[in-house]
Amino acid sequence: MAKIVTLDLQNPDVLPVWQRLLQTLGLQNFTPAEVAHLDFTLGLYEDQQLVATASAAGNVIQYVGVNNEDQVSGSRFNTIISAVTNRLFQKQIFHIFVFTKPQYSRSFQHVGFHELTRSPQAAFLETGTPDVHDYLAQIPAFPAAVGATIAGIVMNANPFTWGHRYLIEQALQASDAVYVFVVNTDASLFTTAERQQLVEAGTADLKKVIVVNGGDYMVSYATFPAYFLPSTEATIQYQTTLDAQIFRDIIAPACHIKVRFVGTEPLSKTTGIYNQVLAEILPPQVALKVIDRKKDDQNHYVTATQVRQQIAAGQLDDLAFLVPPSTYQFIQRHAQELHQRIQKGQQIHGN
Amino acid sequence: MEIKTTAVAGTVESSDIQIMLSAGHQGIQIELESDVEKVFGAQIRQTITTTLQQLGLSQVNVKAVDKGALDCVIKARTITAAQRACQTTDTPAWEVL
Repeated sequence: MAKIVTLDLQNPDVLPVWQRLLQTLGLQNFTPAEVAHLDFTLGLYEDQQLVATASAAGNVIQYVGVNNEDQVSGSRFNTIISAVTNRLFQKQIFHIFVFTKPQYSRSFQHVGFHELTRSPQAAFLETGTPDVHDYLAQIPAFPAAVGATIAGIVMNANPFTWGHRYLIEQALQASDAVYVFVVNTDASLFTTAERQQLVEAGTADLKKVIVVNGGDYMVSYATFPAYFLPSTEATIQYQTTLDAQIFRDIIAPACHIKVRFVGTEPLSKTTGIYNQVLAEILPPQVALKVIDRKKDDQNHYVTATQVRQQIAAGQLDDLAFLVPPSTYQFIQRHAQELHQRIQKGQQIHGN
Repeated sequence: MEIKTTAVAGTVESSDIQIMLSAGHQGIQIELESDVEKVFGAQIRQTITTTLQQLGLSQVNVKAVDKGALDCVIKARTITAAQRACQTTDTPAWEVL
């Protein structure tokens, strides 16, 4: 009798059974950090045997493994995917992603997923609502009169600094208008709403700038989990490849973006690799312009990391050199709250 | 009835259909994924549309993943998804059946 059960991967009796199934199917590159991040894992048992499994973290389905030996092909797969999507629907999650090997992309398409992009290592699909078409439809368009060269920038802006402002100004000098996409994933010291609000406040005087939430499609936990979790270089490489392809093939054409601007990244390894991959993937459809980072009076790089460290240390006075007045006032007003978030364990050294 | 939230009914297992409903602005819009689309696509869409109309819903986005469901199943899944979306599961719409 087939039965769906929730697998507790913290249980030392369950974990090896689950790992063995995935390993026999050729899935073995999982890190403890990724496994710990899973919200739930389901297993399909037949005659006391674990024959299929799938997990979810947020709205992303992961670690799908199905043993199809002596079986009508597809039936176990459809059962386990039904179970995991229904569990997500119960949690009111109606927009679901999956990262998978390219050879399994078709199986997911048979159960209603749509492929967003693929590389030799991985395919990335979505299902449900709102989907990428809904996302693109709500992005405001620049009037046609604005000019032909529209630039795009993706930033976490945690928080918005003079460095971000400088990057936008450089983009404005070289193009007619600029879209600023703010990373949507809420995994930073400043919340998504706060980051977006500070970018809007810090660019309010710039007419040809539209600030947009990056949704699930730009450096989000769905497209680029390695940005938020400690990961190997190979993982960062393949995830950023998909992220860059989505920008090149879906976002840029819809928004008429011809050029993407990024800052040089002397300090973060992850962002460094990301910039390299962007340079390989984006052209010729989208040009990539790398802008040298802004330095302050004492020749130090202006970074949001520095700002967060000063907030943690309570040195708010000289922040005005690093951030625009709008960000500065926000930090002053919310210093206590930000401090509490850091004390509660919010990472400030990452991205 | 009025759609208050996105809702789903059904599965993607054999002989079933998964129906996802959300509020729309352009009438009843159906996005159907089915292996038998060529032969039964029009009939499946018709069944979903009629059922929604009988429930008094006219502005709905529908995403349906069909795995060879019979008409009665399509109808049942549509009614359930609609009642979940309208948050009226406490008062089943028997007359539509």
